[in-house]
Amino acid sequence: MDFKIKIKNKEHHIELKENGGAVKVKVGEKEFVFGKNKEGLITTQSAKKDSLNKEVISSLSGVVTNVFVKEGESVGTGKKFLTLSAMKMENEIVAENDCKIKKILVKENQQVKEGEGLIILE
Amino acid sequence: MQIENFKSISSTNQKAKEMSSLGVAPWTVVVSDVQENGYGRKGESWYSPLGGLYFSIILPHGNIDDLQIITILAAFIVAKTIKEFFNVEPLIKLPNDVLLNGKKVCGILTENVIGSDVKLSVIGIGINTNTESFPLELKDIATSLKIELGREVDNRELLEKIINELKNQFKTISE
Repeated sequence: MDFKIKIKNKEHHIELKENGGAVKVKVGEKEFVFGKNKEGLITTQSAKKDSLNKEVISSLSGVVTNVFVKEGESVGTGKKFLTLSAMKMENEIVAENDCKIKKILVKENQQVKEGEGLIILE
Repeated sequence: MQIENFKSISSTNQKAKEMSSLGVAPWTVVVSDVQENGYGRKGESWYSPLGGLYFSIILPHGNIDDLQIITILAAFIVAKTIKEFFNVEPLIKLPNDVLLNGKKVCGILTENVIGSDVKLSVIGIGINTNTESFPLELKDIATSLKIELGREVDNRELLEKIINELKNQFKTISE
């Protein structure tokens, strides 16, 4: 079954599949697999490596003014990823934890919307 | 009112952000007589010689909408205070500037640091109070209260009034 849900103005594509005793839920590029264990309880069986990736999502609409990191770079907590000029304020988007930059989804001077992905972390 | 005075620092916003990240309490105010690298939106520099009033306030945790409202309200508060104190008619150039006789007399910059939520916010206000003169490239677009009024103004009095008004307004919008 395929469907879309809208959260905070962002559409998410959801795919639901039953595979043997397991249920596979795909949200965008991320995949989660649920199945029953021996006791009959629902557990997360396995997940594709992609589901370990975290996406930094923009919490506001604005323009990317500067990008301070590179793909492949490992950064520490609090490191400035980029600045976003938004709602008449300047916003520094920083690392919540130590992480590695997998992919940068935006460029300088690019307009981004609230809910849009900015960076994918490994 | 907790006010930290400096003679000369790079930027009051920069200092306030540093202090906030070290856990200094909200509503602490950073004032500097001179800013070596004062800046406004999009990194544009803010001329900050001796005589002007340059300060930043560590804001309490708030949501992004409240922070935007306080930025706009700050311009109104500065304009209202200048009008009340000096009997002049400032104009607000939304959202961040206050003009006097068509020239910029005040600039406001709110900066947020955002991780999974808003980590810290500061609002910086620069007012050309007793600035004697401006460099050639700013002469036509900037002015000071001293230039317009022909007399010195009391920076401290202005500072305290603006902070108190901002505190009251912030309380109202976040309630």
